[in-house]
Amino acid sequence: MSEVLFQQLRNYAADANGKFTVLRKGEVTVEIDQKNVKGFISRLVNDLRVRHLSTMTGLDLGQNIGIIYHFSRDKEMIDVKTFVPKTQPTAVSIVDIVPGAILYEMEIHDMFGANFEGNPWMDRKLLLPDTWPADLPPPLLKSSKPNEIRKRLHLEVEGK
Amino acid sequence: MSAEDQSKRREESAGLMKYSAENLVPFGPIHPALKEPEYFKLILEGERIVQVIPRIGYVHRGLEKAAETRPWVQNMYMFERTCGICSFVHSLAYGQAVEGLTIYEVPRRAKYIRLIIAEMERIHSHLLWVGLMGHWAGFETLFMWVWRDREVVLDLVEAISGNRVHKSMNAFVGVRRDMPEGMEDRIVERMKFLVDRARYYKEIIDTEETMLERTEKVGKLSSETAEKLCAVGPMARYVGLQKDVRLNDPYAAYDEVPFDIIIRNEADVHALLQLRLDELVASANMISYAVQHLPDGPIRVKIPPIIPAGEYSAHCEAPRGEIFYYVKSGGGRTPERVKVRTPTLANLPTALEILKGQTIADVPIVLTAIDPCFGCMDRMSFLDTETNRQWTWSGEQLRQYGINYYFPERAKKCRP
Repeated sequence: MSEVLFQQLRNYAADANGKFTVLRKGEVTVEIDQKNVKGFISRLVNDLRVRHLSTMTGLDLGQNIGIIYHFSRDKEMIDVKTFVPKTQPTAVSIVDIVPGAILYEMEIHDMFGANFEGNPWMDRKLLLPDTWPADLPPPLLKSSKPNEIRKRLHLEVEGK
Repeated sequence: MSAEDQSKRREESAGLMKYSAENLVPFGPIHPALKEPEYFKLILEGERIVQVIPRIGYVHRGLEKAAETRPWVQNMYMFERTCGICSFVHSLAYGQAVEGLTIYEVPRRAKYIRLIIAEMERIHSHLLWVGLMGHWAGFETLFMWVWRDREVVLDLVEAISGNRVHKSMNAFVGVRRDMPEGMEDRIVERMKFLVDRARYYKEIIDTEETMLERTEKVGKLSSETAEKLCAVGPMARYVGLQKDVRLNDPYAAYDEVPFDIIIRNEADVHALLQLRLDELVASANMISYAVQHLPDGPIRVKIPPIIPAGEYSAHCEAPRGEIFYYVKSGGGRTPERVKVRTPTLANLPTALEILKGQTIADVPIVLTAIDPCFGCMDRMSFLDTETNRQWTWSGEQLRQYGINYYFPERAKKCRP
């Protein structure tokens, strides 16, 4: 079952210039360029019927912001990895293929500052307060310091 | 008004609803026993809902950031405090993700104990939810009865772990406490009691007019939509999707203990009630089986405080659905990144979809139906696109409106 799926995935990844790695039994990773992500996920969802997006993870990779799409189908977990440069953090939204991704994209937008082109709710905030200062780095980047956030949002606790 | 005009007007009213500073609730300590602040903006046309805009994050405390500065072990007990209801399963998912990075194997006895606690948590969460459904539907007696029975399972949890809510049972590669001696008969007897009660409650919800009227044919959803929106847990199973991590990707002792997976096809809130009560019976049976077949042996393996570099994602079936943890280690004493995805966030798009086309009176029932960690409807604002009137109701006002809408003759009796 999973061998067939993974073989097809390997072919699809090769088509999209992606790097296919088996992490462990039942879990694979496909590293792929940002511009090919949407096409790859579209084939994943429509042809291979991998429909469930568990979540999306954002990562601080130094120069880049990493994005991982955690897909799963029964026992198999498929992580699609990509990245966008911090200087121009614009990724392509997959909301039209996987509508359930809308809040996960908003979350990465709030926490890492990546923009998802095509997500209708990109101008709204999901988790951060409305008064979040625009010049503060997004909170989950390594350059963001909790003390600084406390100070700017007037959340200092006495004696700290 | 033409359809084009209407959609234009809808867009405009959405534009009017830019969040202002008045609606801000600052980050702050919030007691777990209180309702949690979640904020939904409902755009209405007369009585019907056309669009729902969520605004969450009022209790976002930055746990993922905090985890990056704390040792691996400390994080386990911090993540347990993400939720006051499904606390154990958080530490279980985090523990499994970290254990995946090491070479150690969890002892069999520990796997069984994990299953027992996880299923007890499911029972108490489902009972809590059934009670809340009674409360929102205006059936307080059901609420009182169910919450009394919930004490039975909480007492058992306390007897095993020493705590009612935050059990702190998990450790890396095992559990911290063994099952107390001589608990077996008591657990089996109490589970039998709960199964009887669940059957009785099922009879009530199938015959009681209050529950039938409020729940039947409310909250309809198609299985295609649920699949597209990546619904998890009971919200996927009540439309006929076979989504259950315990079955699809067994962890702990779920591959050894037999259990029934409950799937319904009616796709309304009434089916959800039946589904959760049936799951409760299945969980009780699993616990009885597990305590009678509890293997001997060690409960824990001690491991060094440094976790090898790598990344691992683990998922578990929380009472509300799939819970997901992604852990990245750089080989140090603290994690490089931990990602938490709770089932309520995954089910939120589905709930927003169900709400479209419902009446205001059904909002409390439908929002509670997804079992948000205490679905809070406080400070809900309304905007009628036909009259452009805007107003705000508290959760209690909304609940009363729902009761009056369905049972005008009971309006006075229900008033608190």
